[in-house]
Amino acid sequence: MKRVISVWLPRWPIDRLRRERAHRHADGVHAPMVEVAMPSPFALIAPNRRGPVLQAVDRAAGVAGLCCGMRLADARALCADLAVEPADPAADRKELERLALWCNRFAPCCAVDGDDGLLLDITGCTRLFGGEAALMGEIAERFAGLGIEARTGLADTPGAARALARFGPEERMAETGKAGEAIADLPVEALGIAVRDAHLLRRLGIVTIGALDSLPRSALARRFPCRERGGGVLLRLDRALGRSVEPLVPVARPPVCMERLALPEPVTDRDGVDAVLVRLMPGLIATLKRQGLGVRHLVLWCCRIDGGAVRRAVSTARATRDGDHLVRLFREKTGTVDPGFGIDCAALHAVRVEPLEPVQLSLTGDGHRCGDVNLLIDRLRARLGADAVCRLEPVDRHRPEKAERTAVPERDRASPSWPDASDGPQRPFRLFDRPEPVDVVAETPESPPRLFTWRGACRSVARAAGPERIEPEWWIDTGRGTVRDYYSIEDSEGRRYWLYRADRCGAEGREPSRWYVHGLYG
Amino acid sequence: MAPPRIPPAGSAASADLSALRRRIAALEHRSPALRVGADGIDPPGSWWFGVSALDAVLPETGLAVDGLHEATGGGVADGPTAAAFLAALLVRLADGGRGNPVLVCQSRQGAVRFGRVHGPGWRDLGLEPSDLLLLRAGRDRDVPWAIEEGLRCGALAAVLAEVDDLSFTASRRLSLAAREGATPALLVRHDGLGTASAACTRWRVSALPGGADPFDEDAPGLPRWRLELVRCRGGRPMTCNVEWKRETGDFRMVAALAD
Repeated sequence: MKRVISVWLPRWPIDRLRRERAHRHADGVHAPMVEVAMPSPFALIAPNRRGPVLQAVDRAAGVAGLCCGMRLADARALCADLAVEPADPAADRKELERLALWCNRFAPCCAVDGDDGLLLDITGCTRLFGGEAALMGEIAERFAGLGIEARTGLADTPGAARALARFGPEERMAETGKAGEAIADLPVEALGIAVRDAHLLRRLGIVTIGALDSLPRSALARRFPCRERGGGVLLRLDRALGRSVEPLVPVARPPVCMERLALPEPVTDRDGVDAVLVRLMPGLIATLKRQGLGVRHLVLWCCRIDGGAVRRAVSTARATRDGDHLVRLFREKTGTVDPGFGIDCAALHAVRVEPLEPVQLSLTGDGHRCGDVNLLIDRLRARLGADAVCRLEPVDRHRPEKAERTAVPERDRASPSWPDASDGPQRPFRLFDRPEPVDVVAETPESPPRLFTWRGACRSVARAAGPERIEPEWWIDTGRGTVRDYYSIEDSEGRRYWLYRADRCGAEGREPSRWYVHGLYG
Repeated sequence: MAPPRIPPAGSAASADLSALRRRIAALEHRSPALRVGADGIDPPGSWWFGVSALDAVLPETGLAVDGLHEATGGGVADGPTAAAFLAALLVRLADGGRGNPVLVCQSRQGAVRFGRVHGPGWRDLGLEPSDLLLLRAGRDRDVPWAIEEGLRCGALAAVLAEVDDLSFTASRRLSLAAREGATPALLVRHDGLGTASAACTRWRVSALPGGADPFDEDAPGLPRWRLELVRCRGGRPMTCNVEWKRETGDFRMVAALAD
C-alpha cells in the first residue's frame, strides 16, 4: 500500500522572503540562519483588476482578521499599520521546487503540490527513520529548523494526506486502509474542490466529506460536472478515498534503486563529499548486482542543512557496475559542489539502468589488460562535458560539409556505415568548416586557376585536376545555393588544396564567380 | 666522425650484431614485439616503413608501437603535411590489423587553422572513418590530459593529436602512458621541434612537388614528402624523399625533382 505525506506550508511566500533575506545577511557568516527583523503585521500583495489584493499574510496579520484574497484597502481599514510588499510568485515556485529536491532526504519521490505544498511518497522509507510517527516528527523538526511553518498529514492517498495536513485535527495520521474514516469528519473544502462547488455543497447542507460520500454517485457526477483541470467533485473524492489513482509528478526522476547516507556531522569540503561517495557506492553496486542491473545514469544528491540540494550526475556509455570507475567519474564533478553550511545527507540514485549479466572473464587473463573504450569515453565526458567525444557518421547529401555529421560515440545497429572508397576524386583529409575565400587568376572563367592568394600568400598552381561539379540540392533548399566546381590543386611547393568555384545564377543573369579553399590534402 | 660501418646483410658479423641489438632492446624492454620475433621473422605487431633505406636506420624492432612519435611541418604551412604523414604511418600500423578506434584530438585553434578531420578524406587515406573518435576539448589545456587518458586506457589503436605547445615533462608523461597502454601516440607539433621531448622519433616533414598523374598530365599524382628523421631513439637520424601511395599504403623512395 502506498503511503504519502503531504506537507502544507501555510505562509510559504512570507517564509521564503524571510529566508532569502536571512541568506543575504548571512553571507560569509558561519551560521545557517540569522534572524532578520521582518515588519509585523505584514502581507504580500499582487495587483488584481479590483486593485491590490493580499496574497499572503503573516501570523500577526491573521490574528488581526486579515486573510488572503482580501483587497488591500479593506485590509488597511482593519489594520492600519500593515506593512506590505509585492509578491513574487515565480520565485516562490522556484524555491518550492528546490525545497522539494531537498526533501529527497526523506523520500526518493517528492512532488510540488500546488503553490504551497509538497507531496512525499514515503512508501518503504519509514524503516530508515524508525517508523511513520518518527518520520513525521523529523519532517516537522527539520522544517522548523529551516524557519518554515509547515503542517504535515499522512495517509494512503495524496488527496487524503492533503486534506489531513490542511484541515486535520492535531493527530494528522491516517492508518493504512483507514483514509476514509480519518477524513470523514473534515469539511468538503479539504478535498481541494472549486470554491463554487464547495459553496453549493454547503448550501445543500453537505458539510463533511463523510456526508458527501454517502450521496449517490450518479447524482454527484450530474450536479458537479468536471469543469476544471483539477477534476470535478467526484474525481477528487475518489482520489482521496483511493478509488482512483492520483499520479505524483516528481521534481526529480525517481531512481530505480538508491543508496542513502545520513551524516551525524555535516561535511563542509570536497574531501568529505568524496568520502561519502566512496561509502555509498558499494551498497548501490551490491543492490545492482542482486538485481542483475548495470547503471547508465547515476545521480548524487547532497542535501544541505540550510535547505537545498546539490545534484551531480554522470552517464556511462554502457551499463556498468564498476564502482571504482563510477567514483572516478564523480570525482571530476564533486569539485564544484558548494556545501554551503554543510551537507548532512547524501544519496546515490541509479536513475537509468539496463540489464547487465555477469561477464565471464577470459581464463587466460589477457582480457584484463585490454581496456574498454567505453570507460575512456565516460572519463573524457565526465571531465570535458557530455559532447566532448563524438564519432563521424555519413549522411547521404551532396555538399561535402553536409555529407557527414557528428554523432554520439555509442554505436548501435541503426547507425549508418561508411560507403567504400569511391572511384571518384579523392576527398581532402582536412575540411574547413567555413570555406575561405581566395583571389584567383585564371586564363578563362571556366579554366582551373593559375595563381591564387590565400591567407596573404600567393601560390602558383603546378597541377590541377577537375572540375568535379557538385550541384546544389534543389530538393532541399529550393532556388538557393550555388553550383560548385571543385579542383584538387597542387602548388609549386607540393602542397595540396581543394578549391572550388561558386557560380550563382541570380535574377539579373550570371554573377561573377567566387573562389574558395574548402579543404587541404596535407 | 665517420658513421659506423654496417656489415652487409647475411654475413656472420651482421647476425651477431642484430643478436646483440635484440638483446639490448630486450634488456631495455623497448618493445613487446621483440620477445616474440627472435627468429628473424617480423612479429605481427611490428611497425615498419617497408622502405629498406628508411627501415635500416630504425631500431632493430622497428617503430615503437608503444612509443611517442612527433612530427612537425618543415615550413609554416606544412602542418597539414605532417598530419598527413602521421596518418600514413597509421595506415601502415592499421595493416597490422587491430580494428580498434583511433582517438583524434584537435585543439580548437588547430581546427580553424588547418581544418577539421573529414570522414570521406580519412576513408580515402585508407583508414576506417567509423573507427574515429573525435575529441572536442573546450580548452586547449585539457588536450594533453585527454591524450594521456586515451593512451593509458589501452583499448585504442592509436592516439593522433595536434598540440600547439608541449613541455618536456608533458611529453615524458605521454611517453610513459604510451608504454603503459601499449598504444602509439602520434603528435603533430605546431610549435616545431625547438623544445626537448621524450619522443621515440621526431620527424620534420615538408611537401615536395610531386609527379603527374599517370593518366592525366595536368593532374597531381602521388604526394611526395621530404622526411627528416631528426631524432630516433635506438636508431640514426637521416633525411630522405618519399612518395606515398594511398591505394596500397606503401612508401617509395624518390629522388628530389630538380624542377
